[in-house]
Amino acid sequence: MRVAGSLAPGVFLCACSGPQSALDPAGREASEVATLFWGMLAGAALIWLAVIGAAVFAGRVQKEPIGDRAGLRLILWAGAVIPTLVLAALLAYGLRLMPVLRAGEASLRVHVSGEQYWWRVTYERADGTRIESANELRLPAGRPAEIVLDSADVIHSFWIPALAGKLDMIPGRTNRLVLHPERIGTYRGVCAEFCGRSHAYMAFPVVVLPPQEFEAWLAREAAPAEVPATSTTDTGAFLANGCGGCHAVRGTAASGTIGPDLTHLASRLTLGAGMFANTSENRRRFVAEAETLKPGVRMPSFGALAPAELDAIAAYLGSLR
Amino acid sequence: MSESDAARRKREEAELRAVWDIPRGWRYLSNCNNQVVGLWYTGASFFFFLFAGVLALIMRAQLAVPDGTLVSAGTYNQLYTLHGTMMMFLFAVPIFEAVAILILPQMLAARDLPFPRLSAFGFWCFLIGGVFVGGSIFFDAAPDSGWFMYPPLATDTSQTGIGADIWLLGLSFIEVASIAAAVELIVGVLKCRPPGMRINLMPLYCWYVLIVGGMILFAFPPLIAGDILFEMQRLFDWPFFDPARGGDPVLWQHLFWIFGHPEVYIIFLPSIALLAMIVPTFARRPILGYGWIVLAAVGTGFLSFGLWAHHMFTIGLPSLSLGFFSAASEAVAIPTGVQIFVFVATLLAGRVIFSIPMLFATGALAIFVFGGLTGVMVALAPFDWQAHDSYFIVAHLHYTLIGGMFFPLVAGLYYFHPFITGRMLSERLGRWSFWLMFAGFNIAFLPMHITGLRGMPRRVFTYPADHGWDGLNLVSTLGAFTMAAGIGVLLWDVLRPGKPRAPRNPWNAGTLEWVAGDPSEPWGIRSVPPITSRYPLWDQRDLVRDIDEGRFFLPGAPEGRRETLVTGVLDAEPQQVLRVPGNSFKPLIAAVFIGGSFIATTFHWWTAAVISGVLGIAAIMVWLWTGTATIPETPEKDAGMGTRLPLYASGSASVGWWAMFITMVGDGTAFLSLIFAYFYYWTIHGAFPPEGSPTPDNGLLLAGGAAAVAGWGLTLLARRANGAGRPGLLRALIAGAALLALIGGGLLILAPWQAGLDSVAHVYPATVWVILIWTALHLAVGVLMQGYCLAGSLAGRLTREHDIDLRNVVLYGHFAALTVATTLAVLVLAPLAM
Amino acid sequence: MLLRRETPNLWTLLTPPAVWALHFLFCYVAAAIVCARYPASLDGLRLAIGLATMAALAIIAIAGRQAHRHWGFGSDLPPHDAPTPEDQQHFLGFATLLLCALSAVAVLFGALPALIIAECR
Repeated sequence: MRVAGSLAPGVFLCACSGPQSALDPAGREASEVATLFWGMLAGAALIWLAVIGAAVFAGRVQKEPIGDRAGLRLILWAGAVIPTLVLAALLAYGLRLMPVLRAGEASLRVHVSGEQYWWRVTYERADGTRIESANELRLPAGRPAEIVLDSADVIHSFWIPALAGKLDMIPGRTNRLVLHPERIGTYRGVCAEFCGRSHAYMAFPVVVLPPQEFEAWLAREAAPAEVPATSTTDTGAFLANGCGGCHAVRGTAASGTIGPDLTHLASRLTLGAGMFANTSENRRRFVAEAETLKPGVRMPSFGALAPAELDAIAAYLGSLR
Repeated sequence: MSESDAARRKREEAELRAVWDIPRGWRYLSNCNNQVVGLWYTGASFFFFLFAGVLALIMRAQLAVPDGTLVSAGTYNQLYTLHGTMMMFLFAVPIFEAVAILILPQMLAARDLPFPRLSAFGFWCFLIGGVFVGGSIFFDAAPDSGWFMYPPLATDTSQTGIGADIWLLGLSFIEVASIAAAVELIVGVLKCRPPGMRINLMPLYCWYVLIVGGMILFAFPPLIAGDILFEMQRLFDWPFFDPARGGDPVLWQHLFWIFGHPEVYIIFLPSIALLAMIVPTFARRPILGYGWIVLAAVGTGFLSFGLWAHHMFTIGLPSLSLGFFSAASEAVAIPTGVQIFVFVATLLAGRVIFSIPMLFATGALAIFVFGGLTGVMVALAPFDWQAHDSYFIVAHLHYTLIGGMFFPLVAGLYYFHPFITGRMLSERLGRWSFWLMFAGFNIAFLPMHITGLRGMPRRVFTYPADHGWDGLNLVSTLGAFTMAAGIGVLLWDVLRPGKPRAPRNPWNAGTLEWVAGDPSEPWGIRSVPPITSRYPLWDQRDLVRDIDEGRFFLPGAPEGRRETLVTGVLDAEPQQVLRVPGNSFKPLIAAVFIGGSFIATTFHWWTAAVISGVLGIAAIMVWLWTGTATIPETPEKDAGMGTRLPLYASGSASVGWWAMFITMVGDGTAFLSLIFAYFYYWTIHGAFPPEGSPTPDNGLLLAGGAAAVAGWGLTLLARRANGAGRPGLLRALIAGAALLALIGGGLLILAPWQAGLDSVAHVYPATVWVILIWTALHLAVGVLMQGYCLAGSLAGRLTREHDIDLRNVVLYGHFAALTVATTLAVLVLAPLAM
Repeated sequence: MLLRRETPNLWTLLTPPAVWALHFLFCYVAAAIVCARYPASLDGLRLAIGLATMAALAIIAIAGRQAHRHWGFGSDLPPHDAPTPEDQQHFLGFATLLLCALSAVAVLFGALPALIIAECR
C-alpha cells in the first residue's frame, strides 16, 4: 500500500494539485488519508478488473461452461471468504487510524463559528487572551492547532481539504478538531454542509505560516486598527452609514458583533468569505451590491449611497491593515 | 350428460373474460386489476423519473462553466432538492412497487394480489402526492433545503417557505402508500403462491420482494415519526429540533437516515432481483447458488439497518460509535459480493446468449461494482471525512444507484416488455441506447470522483473558476447530456408504434410469468398449475398446454366472482379460494379525500383539512364495508383438480389478518421511533424530565392506561362471546370496550393538560404530548373499528363463523394495548428509574 | 423455542441476523449512553461489549448447529430444488447456516471497534 501510495501521486499529480485538493495534502491527516485513498484505489482497480473480466469472459469469450461445483467454489471463495478477509483488514486499518488522526496536544486554540454565510474566527492564546477575526484562518506550520467549532444559526461544516477532513458545526453542540498543518502555503477551506442560498459562497483562505511569522502576524492581528489620519480614510462615512452597528473595528467606535470583525480587513486575502480577491474595486462593489452578489446575506446593499460616500467607505476599508 | 372438452373450455374462457374484463371509457379509472394498476404505476413513476432527469440536466447546464448564471441560487436549490426527492420517493421506491404489482401475480400464477383495491388506493395516493410535490416547482414553491431536510435550516419558516411543508406532507402521504404496497406484496408472496411452490422453489424475485417488503416496514415508519415531529415544529413551534429549548437537530438526522440507508437497499435489491431472473434465462441454466442469494438478500436486509450513521460520520459522534457503523458498513459489502459472484458463477456455468437485457445487465455490473468499491472506501470514517458532502459522494451514489438500480431496471424493461405489451423492443435501438447511456454515464460521473477530492463540495449552485474544477465539470455536463440522449432513444423505442409482435415466451425463460400469452386476455393465468420445480417451464412437461386447456385449479368463474388461490406459507398447500374484490372507484375517492386533507394542511386550511380527512375515512369505511369480509353463498367450492376448498377463512388463516399484523408491525416501529426520541433527549440532557418541569400526573396516566387495558380485555371477551354464539353479549361487550377505550384515551390526554405541560416551551412537554396523542389516537382508531364490528353484528355481516373483522380488531387491540403499556412504562416508570 | 426446533421455518432463518441486530443495537446504545453521560466507565463498556459478543456468538453457534442438522449434516449438497419436504428442510437449513456464518462475521466486525478504540472522542 505504501509503495502504491508513493508512486501513484506522481502519475496523477497534474490532476490532483490545487489549493483545495485532498490529494495535494499539506497536513498530517490529509496525507494519511491521501495515502489510504491511493492504496484503496489500487486494490479497487484490481478487484473491478477481475470481476468484470470474469463476467465479460463468461458472456463473450468462454466456449465450454465450468462445472457447478467449480461455480459454487467460486461463490464461496471469491464472493464470500476473500472479501471478508480483505474487508476485515481494511476495517482494522481504518479503526486504528481513527483516534490518532485527530489527537494531539495543541498550544493554539481557534474558535470558528459558522454563520450564514461567513466564519467568525477567534484565536485563543495559551494565556487565554482572545483575538477576534473573520473569514480567514492562519496557522503555524508544524504545530498542532485545536479548532473549536460551533454554529450560530444552521448547520455548517468546516472543511480544509488540504489539511484534514471535515467536521460539522451544529447549533447547540461544540465539536473539536486538531489540525496538524505541515507544509507552508495558502489553501482554501469551504462550508461543506448545505446551509442556504449562498452556501456556494461560504469559503475562506487558509494560510500556513512559519511559526515565527505566525506569532508576528498574531501580534499584529491582536492590535487595534492603525488608520493613517488622512481625509480619504476618515471613519466618518463608515460610521455615519451605520456600518459600526454590525461590524467592529477595534480602536474605533464601531463595535457591532452581528457581522464579521473588520479590524484588519485590508490585510486579508479575500472578501465576502472567500468570494472575491481583496481589491479596492471589489470592496466598493461588495458594499454597494452585497444582496445581489451574495443571495440571502444579512447585509443590505448600500448602492443607494452617493458615489462619494461609497468611495470613502471603500477607501476606509482599504486602510484597515 | 357431460359437455365436451372444447365446450367446457369455451365456457370457462367466457366466464373468466366476463369477470376480469377491463372496463373502457371513464370507468377505466375504476380499474383495480393488477395488470392495469401496475402499468399505471410503472408509467407514472417513469414519468417522474424523466421529470427529475430534466431537473438534473438544468443543473448540469448551470454547472457547465464556473460562475454560471442560467439559474439563480434559489432556483438551483429547488432543482437539486426536487431532483433527489423525486428520484428517491417518486421513482426508485415506487417503481419497485409498480413492477412487483405488475409481474408478481404472474410469477406466482395468481390471478391478482390479495388486496387489489389497496394497490389501486396506493397508486392514487402516489400519483396525487407526486403531482403535488413535483408540480410545486412551477410555482417557485418547491422544497429547497435538500432532500435530507436538515433542521434548523428546514424548520426555519422564514428561510424555507411552503416548499418544506409540501415535502413533509406530500411525502408522508406517499410513504403511507409505500407501506400499503409492502403489506400487499408480503402477503402476496407468503400466501398467494401456486400449490406446490414450496419456499425452496420460489422464484428469486419473490425472495427479494419479501425481504424488501419487510425492510419498508421497518425503514419508512421512523421517517414518518420524524415527519410528524418536524411538521409539529413547523406548524405549531414544538421545539423538537431547536437546541435553545432542549431539542436537537441531530435527532432528525438519526430518524432520517434510519430510513435513508435501508432505503438505498430497498431500491437496490428489487433491481438486483430482476437480474436474478434475467441471468439464468440468458445463461440457459438454473441459477447457481440459490441458497447463497437468499443469504445475500436476507443478510443485506438486516445489515442495511446498521449503517445509518455513516451519513453522519462528520457530525462529531464519538469515534467508538463511528467504529460500529464503519464495521457494519464494511460487513454489508460481503452479502453484496456474494450476490455478484452468484451471477458471475451462473454465467460461467452456463451457455450465455448475449442479448440486449444481458448487455444492460453487464453494464449494470460494471457500474455497480465500481460504486460498491468506492462505497467500501467511504465506509472508512477517516476517508469519509474527506469525501463526505463532496462531489466524490455524488459520483459514488450515482454509481451505486444507476448501476445497482437503473441499469438493471432497463435490462428488466427490455426483458419484460414482450410480457407486458406483447411486442418486442428493437435490438438495434437497444444497442444505441445502451452505449449512449453507458458512455454518457461514465463521462458524467467518473470525473466527479476527482472533482470531489479536489475539494468541490456538493449542493453548490456555482463555483469559482480557478480551482481546477472547470474542465471536469464541463466534461460531466457533456456526459450527462449524452446519457440523456440514450434515455431519449430508449423512450422512442418504447413509445414508437409498429413494433413487431413477440412470440410467447420469447427468451425461452423458465418461470411462470412467461405462461402469459396474449396480454389482451385479462385473466392473468388460465388455470393455476401445481408446481414441482424452480423453473416449471423448463422442467414440467406440457405445462403451458395444460394451463391453457384449464386442466388445473380455478379454470373458470362459474359464480361470476374474481378468485385466486391462497396457500400455506411454507409448503404452499392449497388452503382457500379467495374472493378478491373487483373494480371500484372507492379507492380513488378515498385517495382524493385523504390527499386533499394533507394538501389542505400544507396551506393551513384547517377546516378543509378536517372535512376532507373525515370524508376520506368515511370513504375507506364504505369501501371496507362493501368490499371485504363478504359472506360467501356457500362455505366451500370445487377449486378444480378434485379439490374442495373453503371460500371464507378468518384469524391467522385469512390474508386480512396477515395484512393487519404486518401493518401493525410498521405502526409499532413508528411508535418505537417516538420512544427512541424520548430516550435520545434523555441522553443529551442532564435530567429528563428536566428539573422543575411539570410532569403529567401518574395517577391519571395509570387510570387511563387501566381503562384502555380493561377495554382490551372486554374485546377479548367479546371474541369469546361471539365464538360461543351469543351475539347480544358480543354487542354489549364491544360497546363496553369502546367506552372504556374512549375513557382511557381521554384520561391520557387529560393528564398533560391538567399538569399544564406547555408543548412550545421545552422539548420534554412536547415529547410527552406527542407520545400521549399518538396513544390516544390509536385508542380512537380502535373505537372506530369496534363501532364497525358492532354495526357488522347488527347487519348480520359478523356472525359466529364469519368473524374476520372481529379477529382483526382483536389483533389490533393487542398492538394498541402494547402501545399503551409502553407509553406508561416510559412516562411513569422511566423517570423513577433514571 | 426457535433454537430447538424439529423443522426449520422462516423464523429460524431470521434468528442469526436478528442476533446480530440485537448485538449491534446493544453496542450502539451502550456506547452512546456511556460516551454521553459516563465517559469514565469506558473500560466497563468495552468489557460489556466483549461479553455481549461472546453471548451473541454462542447463540449463533447454537443456531448454526441446528441449521446444520436441518441441512442433513451436509449429506445432500445444493441446489435442494426437489418439491419435497426434505429438500425444503435442507434448503432452509443450508440458507440458515450461511446466515449464521455471515452474522458471526458481522458480530465480530461489530466488536472490533471496542477492541481497537479506547476513547470516546
